[in-house]
Amino acid sequence: MSTLRFDHITVRFGTGRHAITAVNDVSLTVPHGTVVGLVGESGSGKSTLARVAVGLVPAAAGAITLDGRPVPRKGAGRPLQMVFQDPNSSLDPRMTVGEAIGEITPRGLTAAERQADVARLLELVHLDPARAGAYPGQLSGGQRQRVALARALAGRPSVLIADEITSSLDVSIQGAVLNLVRELQAELDLTMLFISHNLAVVRYVASRVAVMYQGQIVEEGPAEQVLAQPEHPYTRRLLAAIPGEGTRQGQGSERHRTPSELTEGEPND
Amino acid sequence: MATKTANQARPSAQLRRAFATPMGLVALICLALVLFLAAFGPFIWGEASQTRDLTNLSGGPSAEHWAGTDAGGRDMLARVLVASRLSIMMALESTAISLVVGLILGSAPIILGRRVGRVVNWFIGIAVAFPGLLLALFFAVVFGSGAHQAAVAIGLAGGPSFARLCQTLIAGVLGRDYVAAAKVGGVGRFRLFGRHVLPNIGEPLVVNATIGAGNALLAFASLSFLGLGVQMPQFDWGRLLKECLEQQFRFHPLASLTPGYFVVVAGLAFSLTGESIARAMSFTSLGDLGLRGKARRRAAQLAAVADAARAPDTASATVPDAVLTVRDLTVTFPAGPGEVRPVRGVSFDIGPGEAVGLVGESGSGKSLTALAVAGLIESPGRVAATELGFLGEDLSRDGAGAHRRLLGTSLAMVFQDPMSSLNPTQKVGHQLAELAHEHGDLSWRQAQARAVDRLAAVRLPEAKRRAKQYPHEYSGGMRQRAMIGLGVMLTPKLIIADEPTTALDVTVQEQVLDLLQAIRREDGVALLFISHDVSVVGDICDRVMVMYAGRIVETLPVTRLHGGAAHPYTRALVAAVPTMATDLDQPLPTIPGRPVEPAEVPPGCAFAARCPLADARCREQEPALEPWLDGQVACWRPVGADTPATAATLGGPRLGAVPTARRAVKETVETTRVAARGAVDQAKAAARDAAGQVRDALRSAADQTRRAVLGEEEGPTEPGHEEAQP
Repeated sequence: MSTLRFDHITVRFGTGRHAITAVNDVSLTVPHGTVVGLVGESGSGKSTLARVAVGLVPAAAGAITLDGRPVPRKGAGRPLQMVFQDPNSSLDPRMTVGEAIGEITPRGLTAAERQADVARLLELVHLDPARAGAYPGQLSGGQRQRVALARALAGRPSVLIADEITSSLDVSIQGAVLNLVRELQAELDLTMLFISHNLAVVRYVASRVAVMYQGQIVEEGPAEQVLAQPEHPYTRRLLAAIPGEGTRQGQGSERHRTPSELTEGEPND
Repeated sequence: MATKTANQARPSAQLRRAFATPMGLVALICLALVLFLAAFGPFIWGEASQTRDLTNLSGGPSAEHWAGTDAGGRDMLARVLVASRLSIMMALESTAISLVVGLILGSAPIILGRRVGRVVNWFIGIAVAFPGLLLALFFAVVFGSGAHQAAVAIGLAGGPSFARLCQTLIAGVLGRDYVAAAKVGGVGRFRLFGRHVLPNIGEPLVVNATIGAGNALLAFASLSFLGLGVQMPQFDWGRLLKECLEQQFRFHPLASLTPGYFVVVAGLAFSLTGESIARAMSFTSLGDLGLRGKARRRAAQLAAVADAARAPDTASATVPDAVLTVRDLTVTFPAGPGEVRPVRGVSFDIGPGEAVGLVGESGSGKSLTALAVAGLIESPGRVAATELGFLGEDLSRDGAGAHRRLLGTSLAMVFQDPMSSLNPTQKVGHQLAELAHEHGDLSWRQAQARAVDRLAAVRLPEAKRRAKQYPHEYSGGMRQRAMIGLGVMLTPKLIIADEPTTALDVTVQEQVLDLLQAIRREDGVALLFISHDVSVVGDICDRVMVMYAGRIVETLPVTRLHGGAAHPYTRALVAAVPTMATDLDQPLPTIPGRPVEPAEVPPGCAFAARCPLADARCREQEPALEPWLDGQVACWRPVGADTPATAATLGGPRLGAVPTARRAVKETVETTRVAARGAVDQAKAAARDAAGQVRDALRSAADQTRRAVLGEEEGPTEPGHEEAQP
C-alpha cells in the first residue's frame, strides 16, 4: 500500500517583505492505486507542490507522508519519482538512454542485471530495448518522454508524480503518451499525482481531480463529479475555457460563453 | 528512423569539420610542432645546446649556427629548441592548476551544499576583483623564484577567473531538469558532479583552458624576461630572449629575436586550437537542423524533380478582392552541398475579414509559411512564389521599400513568445506610440493617446497606468494582449498569429482568443491563425488549412473539421486531441510513426507511411490539391464526407497487399480506428447532445434539491418536471 498525503503544506519563496507564498496550507491525499489529477493555471502552485513532494523545494510548514511515515528526502531508492514537463531538458544530452535509466535502478545490481532491467523498462514504455545506446538527441519528443517515464519507473517508486508531461508535446504525440500512462497505471497499479492545466487530459487519466488556485486547493473530488458539477467558480471558468467545446455543435465562431450560458446554449431538440 | 543521428552524439565529426578549415589546419600544424618540440626537443638537441664553440662567442647567424651563439659560444637555436619543453610544460602546468582550482571553487555549491557554496561564491567574487598580475606577483613572492614555483604562482592567480567561469557554467547546468531528475532519483552529489555536470560544461572549459594556456605561455615568457621566472641554470624562452637581447641584439637584431618567434608560434597554436574547438561547438548547435550529406543530396534531387514536374497550380482561381493571395510559395534553405525546402508549393487566399487556421505538427512548415508571407525569412533562406499578393500588391516582385511600408502598416504579427517581441527596456505605451508616430503620421501626443486607447481596446485593465510600465511588469497574458495592441495600433487588414496562445493557460488563452475574435468583428480584420492544436483553431476560424511536410493537404470549413474531414491526416489530427467527451474506455487514437523531416520527403504522398489508407499509388505519386466538396484536398483516397465509413471499405482490400503480418495487424487496428472514429462521430454528436441534456437535468435537480434543503419555497419539485424539461 502507498498512500501519499500532503498535510497542511505551505511553501514560501524569498524572505521578509518580498516573500511569496506559492503554496498555502494545502492538504491533499493521493490514495493507493489511483491517479489524482491536479489542475490549475501557471503560478497556482501545482508544480511547486510536486517539487516539495520529491524534495527539490523545502516546505515552510506541514508534512508529507507515505502511509503515515515521513517521505525520505535524501539518499538513493526514494519512493517518490517524478517525470518532468520538457523531456529536452530532463534528459542529460550526454548520457545514453540506457545510462540515464540505469543510473536510477536500485543500487547493488550487477552490470548484467542492470542491463536487463533497462531493457525491461524500455519494453514497458514500448521502446525497442536496442535503443538503450541511443542519445536523447536521436529520439523524437514522444520517445524522449517515454524514456523519462522509464527512468522514473526505474527507481521502483511507490508514487509517481507527472508534472505537465504532455504540455511540451505536439497533440499528435500527446495521445500516445497518455495511452501509455493509463496502461502503466493499470498494469503496475501505480499511485500517481498527474499535474496538468488541460482538463480534457486530466479527465482522461485521473479518477480524482483537485483544482488549485492561487496556492490553495479550491475543489477536490471524484473526476466525474468535479468536471460535471463544479462547485467552485474557478473550476467552472476552467471548464468553460476548454478550447474546441464551443464549435462542436456547429455554432461557428459563437464561443466563449459563461458556464451558465454554456448549459443554456445546448441544443434542446 | 533509426538512422537519424543528432550531432551531439557525434562531436568527433564536428571537430573534424572545424579543423578542416584553414584556421583549424594552421592550428593543428602549429600544435603538433609545439608538442613535438616539447616531447623530443631535449633528446635531439640536448647535447648540441651544451656544446661550447669558444671560437664563436655571441656570434651571428652562420651556416653552422643558424641563430648564432650565446656569450658562452653555445648554439642559440639548439638552446631555444631545448627550452620549448620547459616553456610548454610550465604553461600547461599552470593552466591545469588554474583549472583544478576553478573547478574546486566553482563546484562548491554542489559538493558542499548551498550555504557553504554561497560563502565560496563571495570569495570568488572578491578574488576576481584583484588584478591577475598582482595575484601572480603576490604568489611568486610567497613561493619564491624558480620554474615550478612560477607555474604554481601563475596557476593560482588564474584560478579565480576559471572559478567564475565554472560557477556560471555549473549554475546553468544545475537549473536543468535532468539534474533535478537525478537528484530525485537519489543520485549522490559526487556522481551528479562527475556524470551530469562535468560532461556538460566540458566543451567551454576546454576551449577556455586552451586559450588560457596560450596566455600562460606569454605570462611566463614575460616573467622570465624580467628575470622573475626561471633561474639559471634552467632556461625557458623568456629567459633566452632576455639573454639574446642583452648579448646579441646590438650585432644581430633579427637573430636575437629567435626565442620570440617560438613564443609567437606556440601562443598561436594554443589560441587557434581553442578557437577551432569553439567553432566546432557552434557547428554542433547549428547542426540541429538534422541534415546530413546523403539526406541533403536526396532532398536536392527531389526538389529538382519537383520543380520540373510541378504544373502551375490551377486548383484555385484568384479571388479578386482577397487580402492575401499566395500561389506556389516555396521556402528554401541551403544545407551543406544541397538545399532543403521546408515549404514546398503552398497556395491559398484569405478574404477580407476571414479567419483562416493553419494547423500541422511541428516541422510541417506552417510558421515558415507565415514568416515568408510577412517577408521575415532572413538570408540564407530563400522565398519564391508565382504570386504573393497582399492588398493587390504583388510582394514577390521588386520594390522592397514600398512593400515594407505596406506590410508595416497593414499587416500585424503576433508571436508565441511576446517577451521576445517587446523591447524590455522601453515602456509598453512608448513602444506602441512609436509605431503610430513612425508609420501613422500622428503627432507624438496623439500617438500616445492612441496607445492608451488601443491598450484599453485589448482589454488591458487600467490602460493608462499600464502604458507607463515595462514589459516585465506584465503577466504573460497581458504581454500577449499588449502585443496584439501593438498590432492594431495602425489599421491592419491582416493579423498573422503564430501559436499566440500556446504558452498561455486555458483561461488566459480563452481571453486572447476572445480578443482576436472581437478585433476581427469590429474592424473587419482578416486573421491567419497558426497552431498545432486543432481544437483551438476550430474555435476561432471560419476555414482551416492543414499542412503536412511543407504542403497544404486539406482546406475545409471549420464546420466539417469534426467528422467531415476528407484527408486521413486531418481526421487523425482531430481524433488525437482528447476532449471532455472522449470515451474513457478506449485508448486515444494516435498517428503512428513520426513527421517527415524536410530533408527526407519521400516520393508520393508524404503522409503515406503513416496513413492507414495508403496504397501503391499513394507511395509513388504525389496527389495535387484539388477541389473537394466545399474545400480542397490533396489525397488519392479522400474519406467521403457523406459516407464516413468509406475508410473501412477502402481499407479492407488493400490489406492483402501488405507484406508482413505484423504490419497488417497494426494497420488494421489503425484503419478500424479511423473508420470507427468517422462512424462514431455522428453518434457522438448525438451523445453529446444527450449528455448536455442529462447535465441540464442533473443541475436543475441539484438546484431544486438545494432549494428544498434551504427551505426555499420557489418552484416546488415535481418528479415529472425534469423529464419534461429536455
